[in-house]
Amino acid sequence: MSYFSYLFDASRWAGDGGTGQLLLQHLAYTVAAVLIGAVVAIPLGILIGHTGRGGFLVIGLSNAARAIPSIGFLVLVVLLLGTGFGKTVLVLAVLALPAILTATAAGIAGADPDAVYAARALGMTGGQIVRKVEWPLAVPLVVSGLRSATLQVVATATVAAFAAGGGLGQLLISGQRSRDYGQMLAGAVLIAALAVVLDLLIGGVGLLAARRARPRSKTRTPAGVARA
Amino acid sequence: MTIKRSLAALGLTITTLVLAACGGGSANPLGSSAPPSGSAGGTSTPVVVGSANFTESQVLAEVYAQALSAKGLQASTKPNIGSREVYLKALEDSSIQIVPEYTGNLLLYVDKNATATTQEELASALPAALPSGLKIGKVSAAADQDVYVVTKEFSQKNNLTSLADLAKVSSSVVLGGPSELATRAYGPQGLKGVYGATLKQFKPYDSPAVKTKDLLDGKIQMGEYFTTESAIADNGFVALADPQSMILPQNVVPLMRGDVADNAQVKAALDPVQAALTTEELTALNKQVDVDRMDPNEVAAQWLKDKGLA
Repeated sequence: MSYFSYLFDASRWAGDGGTGQLLLQHLAYTVAAVLIGAVVAIPLGILIGHTGRGGFLVIGLSNAARAIPSIGFLVLVVLLLGTGFGKTVLVLAVLALPAILTATAAGIAGADPDAVYAARALGMTGGQIVRKVEWPLAVPLVVSGLRSATLQVVATATVAAFAAGGGLGQLLISGQRSRDYGQMLAGAVLIAALAVVLDLLIGGVGLLAARRARPRSKTRTPAGVARA
Repeated sequence: MTIKRSLAALGLTITTLVLAACGGGSANPLGSSAPPSGSAGGTSTPVVVGSANFTESQVLAEVYAQALSAKGLQASTKPNIGSREVYLKALEDSSIQIVPEYTGNLLLYVDKNATATTQEELASALPAALPSGLKIGKVSAAADQDVYVVTKEFSQKNNLTSLADLAKVSSSVVLGGPSELATRAYGPQGLKGVYGATLKQFKPYDSPAVKTKDLLDGKIQMGEYFTTESAIADNGFVALADPQSMILPQNVVPLMRGDVADNAQVKAALDPVQAALTTEELTALNKQVDVDRMDPNEVAAQWLKDKGLA
């Protein structure tokens, strides 16, 4: 029971370097890294999936990037460029990239060929095919890519503490150094909780997005039929 | 160059952590059989110099052992025994006879209520506080203790060379140090309580290389180091004086079994070593082992030769 005293100690949550601040920092790292990863990976994934070109190279490279040990990469970046929020986010974004890129490319490329042919036969341009056919079909896969990227980043953002960047990893490191296992446990529990909450959140958003993006639902409405 | 050095320092940190982890898990490396204890005044009795599980202790043990050998004693080393708890036990059961120690931490270990703060008080309080049968040798000027440093530019710009002057600028100073410093008596509360300096922020660092990088980049204005870390001299950092003796001095001193300490030959061998050691020399010795990857054995031999002690 005493192991949980740190986690539920209100005085530890407040102030500079308090648990609350570390939690917010961790969240900020995660959101920023996944956003940057998504902004880069989704258009690239659409391009690869739509044209069917360059997939081997880009996806091969980004999968190779998964093998980069994040703590070593972070320290390298920090020693070359200095510490800071942006540099840590950069490292985490590199980690988020492969999952989103692979999922997006696979989703676009895997769109039902019959639907794509039909769209082309209707005279849609390439851009229209992407927007109205391939993208809606790919959304569930893209969301699952975002989910796995987020999980990975939440877990790995602990290394930010190694570069004096705070985050929940600080609880793990400080706790280990001062043999305060309650502090370590607080860090571990909060990271796990944050991961679960974010996963459910993205899952929920994804479910809504997939439902709205379905082209079928539109054609079924009387208004849609009338317009056609 | 700096990056290379920082990376080397980082590698070292990781190695040290791994070694420390290994040391913690293993059983008493000394085994149960203790060699027969030497009789007082015996000239040919073998002397074993033990050392703790970090570089500096190992180098010092080599220096002691080789200095003893040079005076005709049969000396050997037993490096990397472990933490203070373990090697003091080894000293008590006579599996080792000498071990390099540090005045402040040794006194606090044997007497938790000790009030000595200055170098002289520590040296005079230690002999009485030690368990019977253990004695210290000559206290060296070389010390490996915590120290606050600033960059040369910051020191010049703010005319800052002592913690006593820190209060003038402390509201704009971010301090970087290991995370446990936050709870130490000589940490931020000590700076406030003893020197009246309230810092802008304390930032925990777990990699000394990253801390040095941030200090050079001006992301922190003051860093907490050990006096024998080569990063201080390599980057021209200015160590701030501690006129109120807030930080407990940690001068190097050989801790010995009483009969060995009373041996005139041992005294003749170790006293000149203790006199010749300085913090700068110790820093250079550590650097040769940690950064240049030399053998502690060779580093010690070369140093003794240079000083004309062997």
